Formats: sequence, structure tokens, C-alpha cells
Amino acid sequence: MSSRDEILQRVRAGVGRGDAAGRRAAAEAWIAGRARGPQPTLGADLAGRFMAKAESLASSVERIAGRGELPAAVARFLAAGELGTAAVITPELTDLAWAASGLAVAARSAVDQDTVGITGCFCAIAETGTLLLLSGAQTPATVSLLPETHIALVDERRIVGTMEEAFSLLRIEHGSLPRALNFISGPSRTGDIEQTIVLGAHGPRRVHLLIAGS
Amino acid sequence: MTAAQPLTFHARVGEKVRDRRLQQALQKARPLFVGKRARAVAALAEDQLDFEGLRDAGEEIRNRVLADLDVWLDIFEERARATGAEVLWARDGREICEQVIDVARRHGVAKATKSKSMLSEEADLNAALAAAGIRPVETDLGEYIVQLAGEAPSHIIAPAVHKSIDQVEALFAREHGRPEQPRSSADIPAMTAEARAVLREHFLSAEMGITGANFLIAESGSAALVTNEGNGRMVTTLPKVHVVITGIEKIVPTLEDFATLMRLLPRSATGQTISNYVSLLTGTRREGDGEGPTKTVFILVDNGRAALLGSPWQDMLRCIRCGACMNHCPVYFSLGGHAYGWVYPGPMGSVLTPLLTGLENALELPRASTGCNQCGSVCPVRIPLPKLMHRLREEQVKRGLRPRRERLMIGAWAWLAGRPKLYRWLAARAARYLRWLAGDHATIRVFGLAPAWTEGRDLPVGPGRTFHELYAARKRA
Repeated sequence: MSSRDEILQRVRAGVGRGDAAGRRAAAEAWIAGRARGPQPTLGADLAGRFMAKAESLASSVERIAGRGELPAAVARFLAAGELGTAAVITPELTDLAWAASGLAVAARSAVDQDTVGITGCFCAIAETGTLLLLSGAQTPATVSLLPETHIALVDERRIVGTMEEAFSLLRIEHGSLPRALNFISGPSRTGDIEQTIVLGAHGPRRVHLLIAGS
Repeated sequence: MTAAQPLTFHARVGEKVRDRRLQQALQKARPLFVGKRARAVAALAEDQLDFEGLRDAGEEIRNRVLADLDVWLDIFEERARATGAEVLWARDGREICEQVIDVARRHGVAKATKSKSMLSEEADLNAALAAAGIRPVETDLGEYIVQLAGEAPSHIIAPAVHKSIDQVEALFAREHGRPEQPRSSADIPAMTAEARAVLREHFLSAEMGITGANFLIAESGSAALVTNEGNGRMVTTLPKVHVVITGIEKIVPTLEDFATLMRLLPRSATGQTISNYVSLLTGTRREGDGEGPTKTVFILVDNGRAALLGSPWQDMLRCIRCGACMNHCPVYFSLGGHAYGWVYPGPMGSVLTPLLTGLENALELPRASTGCNQCGSVCPVRIPLPKLMHRLREEQVKRGLRPRRERLMIGAWAWLAGRPKLYRWLAARAARYLRWLAGDHATIRVFGLAPAWTEGRDLPVGPGRTFHELYAARKRA
């Protein structure tokens, strides 16, 4: 007997319930029902909540008037931190006027040498101050991972309350899941040496969020 | 299956209690673990969420899966295959190793970067990979440290909690080929940066990434990975092959169920509202993608789990591996994780190790408990850990696994207790003997029959009469 069949046989013996078809139908119905567990009460100001939570997780946050202002805001942030003028961006952002702000950007997957990565996000979650990024040709996952600085554009209209609402939006707009859904909450961190928290374990050391109004 | 080393627990206790560096590390970590979780749980009130309500929901989700695990496994397998992933099944640790090595050979893998996988610890996978000429590199900083030390993790979420900064410095100096330097806690960022640079090279050059999964999502055929360092993202994005090794019980039905469990897991584990990186990985790289693995393999592992379904220990399969039970355990913080002898320490290990490796291989673990139920009261999925430990002790007796001396003593006591007159007569003699031994003091310093017991404390002595005698005298008066 194959490992698969033997394990499933043991599982069935342990579960000890008949009517496989009925149980399968009940499981499918549970999936289709998408019942939510206890939900938080977050109040009306989702953007304010998102920004406060993101800051508490060691991201820096700045409001900008609109998407078009992203390059200028990035240029200011990089200049203030002496972080250079070169960046890798996700291809979704190529339409913006980067050169006009004095930035040299490349739209592609990130490589080890990239020091600044700039991305959008699919949506943001107010409950925890979290970004949701999807992998894809227009949104390669390495841009938010390999560079030491990650800058993300957050459309204020796409700040939702909870992870459940993010999933709901994803089902409506995409149907199926991309290869990787990455929920990102601040810079990477570790506490593995004597429980001392250090930012910049393997991923970005700093995360800067630009919240674009409508 | 790697068996727990039989009967080593007692032998190790003295050694661990006397290990000053270990004791310092544990005493430093304990209030941090406990305090952070308590604050995170209390903060739920801001959003009018109630931790007890979340625990109920978490318990229900896990029970739903276990009640129909065969069905959920079928659904997961179908949907994972539909996304292009390969699904393999492993009966035990040996099969895990065979399958991982086979996948590695098929894809010309010379080096594998690993994110935390407790199943790979159960299988002793690193040794098997090395023997097959494949270099395994642990990339969670704590796992990296214990790998350099040639040790096993001592905690399921803080693997190097037992290591001091000096010990880490010595390991880094040796591995990274530089002289050892005196270090203080101010140097921890620099040491972390050093490990980052070394491990970055490994991330970029490995052909295979090996991870566990915090959960498998049946609805979408996905693996969920929760990390703070970002190593989980690295090993599932950069290598061309991704292998997920996980237990068959790790399934949750829907994304919504996953969201509920994510309100419990980080709070219980590290006191975070959410971990820095939560990834849901589904299938392989898509058309047009310039990155991501081209091959994804799930290895679904039994290794003793299926046998627990329908047994008095089924509740243990709800475990989501948060570590809260060990973070609140007085026994764990007296000894550290290595005393437990196998992969899983603390209360959940005291239950799981005998169940997965055989009761006879871990006789002492179910007794490594004060019965205080701190573990049971913090468990996010309400596993009644002390009750399960108690049941395991009963099972040891039923199967005649207790040592001969203990059985004889308990047999003798039972014989005596069944003879009340003799019992009272002997008890009266013993009460007088103890009183005589104490002399003018109210306590006994060294008690002849149990010198070890009175070595660190005095035995208070009664009035030299038994309760029965005193009661009878009072009634007469």
C-alpha cells in the first residue's frame, strides 16, 4: 500500500465516521459559507488607525495628496536619509515621473545590490497596520524583500479593516490566489540573540509608507 | 522516527539546574515572554475583542478539521495539485528524508536553505541531507545559531533562547573565520548584521528552499508561513524548488478560519498583534512571473499523528505550535528545552513526545509538571495539557511501564491502606518517631529516609499524635 493510502486509511479509522459523501458536502458547504470568527470594532477612521498601527510596528508614515506625488515624496525621503537616488520599482509604478524627481529607477525583480525597493500594495489592513502585496509580473515579490529600504504606496481608499475584508476584496478582484500573498507589517526583525529585538534581520531594515489621498 | 532518548530526563535535570549560563538565559527570557503575551491579550479590549471568545473560535476551527480530517486532506490535496504543486505523503521521518533527497536529486540541488520546520527536526533531516551530499543551511537566526553549535532547538519559537551572547560570538567567530571579540548587548545589531550578510549569500545560491507550514489552507491548497525575520519569504521566493514539510493535522478549512487563528498565534507566541511577514503560498511561479519556484512539493507527514485521532489524546492535535505553554511553565524555565530529550519541549512536548515516540521512551515527561495548569490556561486552542499528562501517567500504569521499585512500593502501600487497624497503628508509631527525631525543634533538618528531600528545606513536624488520635481525644473532652 502506498504511504498516501495507508495514512488516509489510518485517518479514516481514527475519525471513525461513515457517509463520506455527506461529510464531503458539509465541508464544501463550510468553505462556501466563509463564516468569519469574532471581528474587531475599529471605528470609522481606518486610515488613522492604519497609520498609528504601522508606526507602532516601526514603519514611518507620511501622507501625500495623490499617487502622482510619489516620486517627489520618495526623493525627499531618500535625500533626508542619505539613501542615494537609485531604486528598483515594481513595474506597476513605471508610469510615474521618476526621472523628473531626480531618481534613477529600474522596473524589475530586485537583486542583492538594490538598496531601495518601491512598491504599491494590493490593499492595507487597518486592524494590524499591515500591507498586503500580491506576487505577479507587475508586482515581483523581491522588490519588497531584498533591498534594505522598502517604500510602499498605499491608496487611502484601499485601506480595509481586517484580513477577512482583504480576502473578500481579493476574491472579488482576482478570483484565485497568486503564487504568493505577502502580508507585511513593518521592517523585518529578530529577537534570537538574548531576546533583544533588532530590525533588519533578513528583509528590509526600514519601511516607509506613503498614504495617498483621493 | 528519531526516538526520544529513553530516561534521560531525570539524568539531565541536575545538569541543567546547575548550568549557570542556561539559568541566566532562562530567567532573562521568562518575564519577557510572559509580559509581552499578557499585554497583547489585554490590548484586544481596545477593539472590543475578547481573547476567551477567540480561543473558543480557535478550538472550534481545529476541532472541525480533526473531526473530518480525511475529507479535509482530500480537499487540500486536490486543490494543491490543481495549482501545480506536487503532493507527497510520508509515514515517518525516514520517508521524509527519502522524499526530500529524491526531490533534491531530481533537481540537481547542492544546497538547501531552510526556514523553521519542526517536522524536519522530527526526521533529523539535516543529518540525512548532509549524508546525501546536500548542504542544509538553517536561516532563522536562532536555528542558524543552534545549527552552528551542533545542537537541537531548545524552544519551538525561540530556538536559541538557551544561548548567551558570548556563546553566539564564539560560534560566529569560528564559522565566519574571524577572531573572537568581547561582546555586550550593544553589539547584538552588529552580530545580527553579520549573520544577515552570510545568510544572504546562501539565500541567493541555494537551489532548494525547505519550510514547514504554520497552516495548510484547504480552500486554496496553500501553505501559510509566519515569520518575523523574512527568511520564510526568502526561501520560498529565491530557490527554484520549494519543499513544504508539514504534519497532516495542520489543515484549516478557509482563509477566514486562518484569519481567526492569526489573531491567536502571534499574540500567544511572541505577544505581537501580527508577525512581520505572513505569507500564503499557492502553487508555483505563474506565466509572466520572473521569480518564484518552478517546482513546489508538499510532504504531508503522519509520524504518529493519525493514531491519535479518535483516541483520548486527539485534543493534542489541535496544537498550533505557538509555544505559550512552555513560556508559562515553571518546569520549562527551571530546565530549558534540551532536558526534554526530543524535538518538542515544555508541556506540549511532555504530551507529544511520548505519543509520537512511544510511551516507554519518555516515561518521565508526563510527570514533569507541577499540575499548576498555567499551560492549559494560556493555550490558544484550549488543549487540556495537564489532563493529558495525567492520562499518560495512568496509561503508563495500565501498561505496566512504571519501574519495578515504584510498583512494589505502591503495591505495598495499597496493601497497608486496605488494613485500617494496622495502618493506624503504624501511623501512630511514625508520628511519635518523627516528633522524637525533631527533639526541641519543630522541624527536621536531615530526614534519614529521604536525605535529598530535606537537603534544601526543613520538614515541619506535627505534635507526635496522628489526626485520628487527636480527633478521638477531642471528642472525649
